[in-house]
Amino acid sequence: MEAIRNALDFSDSPRIDLIVAGAIGLAIFVFPLFPHSSFSMSTMIQFLMFSLYGMGWNTIGGYGGQVDLGKAQYVGIGAYTTAVMLIRWDVPFWFSMPIGMCLSVGWSFIIGYPLFRLKGHYFAIATIATSLVLKDLFEVWDFVGASRGIEISPIEFPTPDFMRLLFRDDIYYFYVILGFFFLGILYINWFRRSRLGFQLRSIKDNEDVARSLGINVHWAKIKTYAIATAFVSMVGSFHACYVKNIEPEDTMSLDISILIALMAMLGGAGSLWGPIIGAGILIPLKSYLKEWLGAQAGLVGIDLILYAVIIMLISAFEPRGVWGIVEKIRRKRRK
Amino acid sequence: MDILIGSLFAGLLIGMILALVALGLTIIFGVMDIVNFAHGEFLMIGMYTGLLTAQGLGIDPLFTLPVAALVGFLLGIICYFGFIKFIIRGPMVAQLLGTFGLMLFLRNLALLIFGSEDRAVHTGLLVGKSFDLGLGIIVPATKLAAAGLSVAAFFAVWMLMHRTRVGKALTATALDAQGARYMGIPTERMNALAWGIGGASVTIAGALLVNFWSVNPFIGLLFTMIAFAIVALGGFGSIPGAFFAGLVVGLITEIPGFWDFFSYTFDAEWMMDVPMTSFKYMWVYVAYFLIVVFRPRGLFGWKQ
Repeated sequence: MEAIRNALDFSDSPRIDLIVAGAIGLAIFVFPLFPHSSFSMSTMIQFLMFSLYGMGWNTIGGYGGQVDLGKAQYVGIGAYTTAVMLIRWDVPFWFSMPIGMCLSVGWSFIIGYPLFRLKGHYFAIATIATSLVLKDLFEVWDFVGASRGIEISPIEFPTPDFMRLLFRDDIYYFYVILGFFFLGILYINWFRRSRLGFQLRSIKDNEDVARSLGINVHWAKIKTYAIATAFVSMVGSFHACYVKNIEPEDTMSLDISILIALMAMLGGAGSLWGPIIGAGILIPLKSYLKEWLGAQAGLVGIDLILYAVIIMLISAFEPRGVWGIVEKIRRKRRK
Repeated sequence: MDILIGSLFAGLLIGMILALVALGLTIIFGVMDIVNFAHGEFLMIGMYTGLLTAQGLGIDPLFTLPVAALVGFLLGIICYFGFIKFIIRGPMVAQLLGTFGLMLFLRNLALLIFGSEDRAVHTGLLVGKSFDLGLGIIVPATKLAAAGLSVAAFFAVWMLMHRTRVGKALTATALDAQGARYMGIPTERMNALAWGIGGASVTIAGALLVNFWSVNPFIGLLFTMIAFAIVALGGFGSIPGAFFAGLVVGLITEIPGFWDFFSYTFDAEWMMDVPMTSFKYMWVYVAYFLIVVFRPRGLFGWKQ
């Protein structure tokens, strides 16, 4: 009960934040009632998914300061668990998703234990290495369809089916992921003021001091990594049901890992709203650029060039992201 | 037996080139403590430079090295003054993602300009020729020449770092940037020079590699990871370490060959069923992981 009350307690945010957040949340909620194209609908779902990925990354990368560039492997584990269990044993989404989360968390413990002996660059590159190893394995593993991937065929599984989470109309997916999204916000709101959250921030500021205060640094990092993993894996499972056709290349490639980290970085790592702001900026930008520029002949890659320029500008001039700018303005006003 | 010796030989040859690839990364890391994710993209640019110069001027790809070196040097300097200078003051997260942005930028720029198809050198003095070294070992002439030239380039950079005033200044900057500044060394210029030398050595490696390896805009990441593995094994910042680690990693990339040898020797059915060639580069990633976990200093490392 205490935890739920804490999760619902936003009293430390300024009122203006809450009003804006509430207004945007309401706008997202009623968005499908208004006329919309299927393109904007899928962009919206993408936005919600990447906000959740970003929130997951934000726990370890933002609050903990450990730059993890291997989150895609957990997207892959979650997506493959759900798809394989559905195809082979007809296990519904709502059961396979927790199983996928357990598998991901188990794997995260196995690799997290040695990983968190590393710091900084070494850690970041090692997370990439683990992710690429897993992707290579999935690309030759026949049980999960090797590099062809897995398709959840609409003939075998009739829609709509709430238990298996298979629908023809995107609006159902929208409300399911929106539910996850609100729960995710509440969880992060609880997390950032939990014991672990405070421990993490002290680790980020100064690891030696944190250790001298009696915090088990290694274990705190592993626990947080598991939380981030669970988030990512959950959305990965959703991704499998939503896209219905998964391959190692589009679930586990390095680009996904980077995109996840980038969402949180752009919005502001280590803040509650950061990943959502980041996803809100990047995902529509990406979709529209792809739609407008990428489709025209000879302009392949220009969307990613623009992307790269954004990353470079942020890291050069405002490493704390959009939220950092907001806070800077606020501090100035208070003076 | 000939498979074994052949694989050994091929691994060592490719290892010499990979050592040159990693050399730039280790110099940049040694001097500035920054990990350059765009390193493989520099290599890709070197490969395109070699390819296009050879095709454009109609000369042999092996003679394009000076052009590649110049392009790489300028590229390094431009990247430093245009971008790296700004992120170096920021937190580590920003540095990591910043060079990552550089990587994405260069890769997609190449995609926009050159298109996504594979390109390869088809004509040249040595292309298609090979030596028979006896014992059934056949070495492609391009590989042999590329390996020899990359050892020469490696040695040249080593001489530059250890036998010249500039090299001493670079080493001093690497050891203690602030101390070096007090001694009157222009550390800012040294940093830029490190990027220049790093860029030049990796583009030379690219121009050598393009003799027998087709190039596309996505090739960079593989070599970035290989270079990371080499630098981690050799020790971040160590030049001789990079060379020996390059040979080791070269042998690691030939694991499928060794696997074949052992599966024929022991006549083991189950070994033949494993699609080892699909895992060719996975072992490099595994090796990186094991090295940084168990011996983060590397073999010759002096930087923690």
